[in-house]
Amino acid sequence: MKKFSTVLMFELSNYIKSKSYAVTTALIALLIAVIMFLPRFIDMSDFLGTSDDTTQSADGTGTDESSKDSDDVEKVNYIIYDQAKVFESLEPLKTSFSGSEWSTADSAKEVQEQVKAQNVEAGFVVKSATEYEYYVYNKSLSDMDMSIFNELMAQSYRNSYCDEHNLDIKEVMQLVNVDVTGEEQVLGKDMGKSYAYCYILVIAIFMIIVLYCIMIATSVTNEKSNRSIEVLVTSTTPNSLIFGKVVAGTIASFVQVALILAAALGGYALNRDYWGGMLDNVLDIPANVLTVFFLFAIAGFVFYAFIYAAVGALCSKTEDLNKSASGVQMVIMIVYFIVLFQMSNIDGAAMKVLSFLPVSSYSAMYIRVAMGEVATWEIIVSFIILVVSIFGIGWIAAKIYRMGTLRYGNPISIRSALKSLKDKSAE
Amino acid sequence: MKLELNDIYKSFGTKEVLHGISFSVESGKALGLLGRNGAGKTTTIRIIMDVFRANKGSITIDGRPFKSSEHSVGYLPEERGLYPKKTVIEQMIYLAQLRGVSKAEAKKNSQKWLKRLEIQEYETKKLETLSKGNQQKVQLASTLVANPQIVILDEPFSGLDPVNAQILKDVVSELIAEGRIVIFSSHQMSYVEEFCEDIAVINKGEVVLAGQLSQIKKEFGHNQLVINAENQTPEELKGALEQQFGELLKVNMVKKEGCIVERNPGITSKDILKRLLETSINLEHFENYKPSLNDIFVAKVGDES
Repeated sequence: MKKFSTVLMFELSNYIKSKSYAVTTALIALLIAVIMFLPRFIDMSDFLGTSDDTTQSADGTGTDESSKDSDDVEKVNYIIYDQAKVFESLEPLKTSFSGSEWSTADSAKEVQEQVKAQNVEAGFVVKSATEYEYYVYNKSLSDMDMSIFNELMAQSYRNSYCDEHNLDIKEVMQLVNVDVTGEEQVLGKDMGKSYAYCYILVIAIFMIIVLYCIMIATSVTNEKSNRSIEVLVTSTTPNSLIFGKVVAGTIASFVQVALILAAALGGYALNRDYWGGMLDNVLDIPANVLTVFFLFAIAGFVFYAFIYAAVGALCSKTEDLNKSASGVQMVIMIVYFIVLFQMSNIDGAAMKVLSFLPVSSYSAMYIRVAMGEVATWEIIVSFIILVVSIFGIGWIAAKIYRMGTLRYGNPISIRSALKSLKDKSAE
Repeated sequence: MKLELNDIYKSFGTKEVLHGISFSVESGKALGLLGRNGAGKTTTIRIIMDVFRANKGSITIDGRPFKSSEHSVGYLPEERGLYPKKTVIEQMIYLAQLRGVSKAEAKKNSQKWLKRLEIQEYETKKLETLSKGNQQKVQLASTLVANPQIVILDEPFSGLDPVNAQILKDVVSELIAEGRIVIFSSHQMSYVEEFCEDIAVINKGEVVLAGQLSQIKKEFGHNQLVINAENQTPEELKGALEQQFGELLKVNMVKKEGCIVERNPGITSKDILKRLLETSINLEHFENYKPSLNDIFVAKVGDES
């Protein structure tokens, strides 16, 4: 135990004194803090989507703040060929399409040519009261033109129908748009709310494992490449060495993450009003979910850290590490994608199985806790399986570390390493 | 204390590399482990250090099973290596602590050995900034930092200049004088001759010669003479001796200092000298042959490549 703590302290000091560790932590924390303060100094309402402006209103009932200074803004040009004579004037179009300028065409072909020449943003050919064609050169992801035009066409159709049948359009609209008041009372879990933070936490733990475990593997491989490993294994036990390294790597990783997270949370708390509270959903995580997340995240990290440490012991050069670790990385990636896809089927059999497997429970179990139905005994059993697996994989990793001590040259495959463990003569 | 290796066998896969290695070494004595490259010296040392496990045989200390982790052993491996990015003192303290020494004592010991090896000015320097020779001295200081009772040095003199080699020689002499068990392997016979009372020559995984060095030298030189002449080269002398003295002696070796000859059964040195004085050979040198360790080594393993 004393030797374990000696290794732990030495390895931890290696991380803390490392310039790259200190600089990375400080830079990322600073960057995130600066981002959190940005809305205080720069108007980011468009970027954050917190603008109060009602830019478009098909029925003309919205307030159009932007129209006040529309003269200052560059107009967007549209063209229309109203074959069916649906629109008596272009005014409703100008009102609904904020900051737009409209011209008319004499044929559908002209509309196409104007759009193709990029003289206009888009063009419409109205064929009947309920049918039109929309022409656009490059369609953006946020293109709302068709939905606005649909509403305009529908409104025009409703007006015509009411005129023909002597109906009061206002009465009809009140009937159609009747106000219904409902109050939601979620007695169980609100998946809509928890989805956002679950999604972010899945990505976070995936990133932490992929980025930091390789650091532990590199530390092991370095000892082979600088040939210090022979002195170390003859000075103490492989268990002390590998457990010390993994625990030190885990502490260093989570300290870095905690500092970065603290910068984000602190920065957000100070600037919450400027952000319009838009991150509340992400950061409002129930305590029980957070507790389960941290327990499983740390245990899952340690589980993979041991595997990475064993992979590190199989390589003599750090250049070989990525190739040797690709199999483990593949497992982590597969778990990541399956868990993400299964978030919409949280109480399905796949998620239940994943929440008990040590390779995936770090990610699957807390999502079940956050979004699904899970009994306390299931959480305890899953955690016990994970902890027992950690000691099992740690024991195997120590054996591989010991076995790989004096094996230099090409990386050893995990399969041949496990085979060698059975063969006593290879020790 | 007496450390004994008894009939050690070791295989890697299907290849047996040690075929029954046995030797012993006591406190206050040094054992020189000799052998050509690939003879099995380092494998033997690694078995003592529990880096490899023997397939057969035993290692005992004072008759009880020996496990390196249960004793204070200082080991300088053939593959040198420490942490290049760490300061000298940091890694020495770390290694001493791993061997069970308290931090305060580890620091004190580190400074003592750095001073003894005349590298105390590099205490706070990163290892990578030191010359190769000084790095080697740091490695030796790290080996001795926990004040081990058993010291195992694998090729300790390789890479050292004559001045540093002299410092190391002095340190090894002190370790022996302090009553520690010292085992060291080397290709440099002069160092082995200087320190070691006992030697074990390993060839192709077997001990081909072991015992007290003085006794080995005596036995090896038994019945042999060194003869040199003023007016003849050693080669010319060899021809003359074989032609004129065939019934008295046999020429075993021609060296720069003369011919090494072996007396035939029943012939005394006096008989040979008397006959030599009757010839035209102007004797320059005539004495009992005292072989060097190098001669013994070459004779034992040199022609078996």
